[in-house]
Amino acid sequence: MNAAIIFGLLITLMLTGMPISISLGLTVLTYLFTMTTVPIEAVALKLFTGIEKFEIMAIPFFILAGNFLTHGGVARRMIRFATAMVGHWHGGLGLAGVLACALFAAVSGSSPATVVAIGSILLPAMVKAGFNKHFGAGVITTSGALGILIPPSIVMVMYSVSTSTSLGALFMAGVLPGLLLATLLGLTTWYRARQFNFPRQPRASWRTRWISFRESLWGLLLILVVMGGIYAGFFTPTEAAAMSAMYAFFVAVFVYKDLSLRQVPQVLLVSANMSAMLLYIITNAVLFSFLLTSEQIPQTMANWLIGQGLGQAAFLLVVNLLLLLAGNVMEPSSIVLIMAPILFPVAIKLGIDPVHFGILITVNMEVGMCHPPVGLNLYVASSITQMGITELTIAVWPWLLTMLLFLVLVTYWPTLSLWLPQTLGMR
Amino acid sequence: MKCLDRLEEWLITFLIGAATLIIFVAVLHRYASGLPIPLVQDALLRIDMSWAQELCIYLFVWMAKFGAAYGVRTGIHVGVDVLINRLAEPLRARFILFGLSAGALFTGVVGTIGAHFVWRMAHTEQVSADLEIPMWMVYLAIPLGSYLMCFRFMQVAWHFLGSGQLPHHEHTRIAGLDQIDQETGEDINPYHLQDNLHPRDVTVTHADRSP
Repeated sequence: MNAAIIFGLLITLMLTGMPISISLGLTVLTYLFTMTTVPIEAVALKLFTGIEKFEIMAIPFFILAGNFLTHGGVARRMIRFATAMVGHWHGGLGLAGVLACALFAAVSGSSPATVVAIGSILLPAMVKAGFNKHFGAGVITTSGALGILIPPSIVMVMYSVSTSTSLGALFMAGVLPGLLLATLLGLTTWYRARQFNFPRQPRASWRTRWISFRESLWGLLLILVVMGGIYAGFFTPTEAAAMSAMYAFFVAVFVYKDLSLRQVPQVLLVSANMSAMLLYIITNAVLFSFLLTSEQIPQTMANWLIGQGLGQAAFLLVVNLLLLLAGNVMEPSSIVLIMAPILFPVAIKLGIDPVHFGILITVNMEVGMCHPPVGLNLYVASSITQMGITELTIAVWPWLLTMLLFLVLVTYWPTLSLWLPQTLGMR
Repeated sequence: MKCLDRLEEWLITFLIGAATLIIFVAVLHRYASGLPIPLVQDALLRIDMSWAQELCIYLFVWMAKFGAAYGVRTGIHVGVDVLINRLAEPLRARFILFGLSAGALFTGVVGTIGAHFVWRMAHTEQVSADLEIPMWMVYLAIPLGSYLMCFRFMQVAWHFLGSGQLPHHEHTRIAGLDQIDQETGEDINPYHLQDNLHPRDVTVTHADRSP
């Protein structure tokens, strides 16, 4: 009953279009004032201590690093390298787009940022090279989604924070699925391009490849800083994020010199703006899950669901449908922060691995970013290509279908996600 | 007013920059002091950097509170706007105003609760674990940030009443960079698009219709 009141209130408030953070907070306040006797001081304390965790601070750091990379010419060099490597195959620049997105995803933690970084340079180039606009937009919109699956990933930080799962293990678990999805998207691109006979780039010489590799090396080394640093135990994930922000700043300003020192405060401000928005959602989501826990809703729901005789397979199917549905109205961070604390206890009771569950949620979020009405990647691609959302939706479907098949694979084949972290002894 | 705007921007820019620098220095210090260089190692070991993590958290908490207020001004906060963006404009205007007033109400209440909390805290001797600064000073971010946010919500609502426009894109352009959209001349910021995570503007203003 309490659960119905709380969720009913939350959904009603959210549908009025107010910020998600505000609707979460108002739900909690309304419920506490009218239905319970929880002292209001506890709320004030939660409001502050909600984000008083060092783990959460990885989010602003990763956003900052991503912004330095996006504006610092790293993407441009990665595209050149990718084109030199795979540009001569069927799909040419499209295939290079998938590879460049995968590379950029390995240094940036956000999907829309990947689409901006790669798409704004590659899409105009593709149109100039004689590609169909739809083809390019489809490739970049979906490949950009790799940003949150290939570590580092802001969505994984959110999941790790709200379920206390090891972030290092999650990052490692994202590597193989990320590579597999990149391959599948590449295959789709290759197949479509061969079908329609799209232009190919001239084969680059090994010398060109070496030069482009050396140029993009500074950006690629960041993968080592983050993953190597965390795995070898040099840094905690948050420290790795801070180091990558400093490193990205250094590369953008002093090595590539695509960003002048004068522009740095603006990059800082934009990053602060974005991080503060996410941190504000986290603050209120923590408040919300505090309310849920104090009303014992997750436990009750878990017991009820298990009492219904729901098995692992059926539960995962329900989770997928629920998340895909949520992907129609909300952006990934909010979905993870609201849904994870509710679904997680059930998953644990059913014996699902927390890391596997995290990867599954991340892949779901990827799908949600690529279809309307709220898919952020789609909107970014639309503002780069000046194509309408409906038009883009049609352009995206071959790759989106691939992603949905991939989602099924990830859901029912836990080994894919768990093999690497287990082999590395991170569990 | 301009002064407040600049101060807000300057503050959050400084906070995120400082936090990054502090963690960077702390990590460097940790590894540098492990190197067996005579004199340097002794000097480094004498510097205590254990407070860095705590300070970083506090800087980010302050950044989050004031950044959230700044976010209202730039219209960055995401919501579920699929439904209201489909409504006829007059009705949508009502929902938007409702949302903005709800924001003002919530932040106002939180600010007041926070103020009481800080007031009581100020009469205790509580200090933070590593830095040993009085906790009430740390918690001051809640009332200050929330009241500022409340003010920003009212400001946006007032502006919306008059013009039918909500804040988009403002202040987020990074001048002279190649990510700038060729045709519209605007920086593509993923959280600032006319998507269904943000309400759309209305052309007929509220003020025109209701006397």
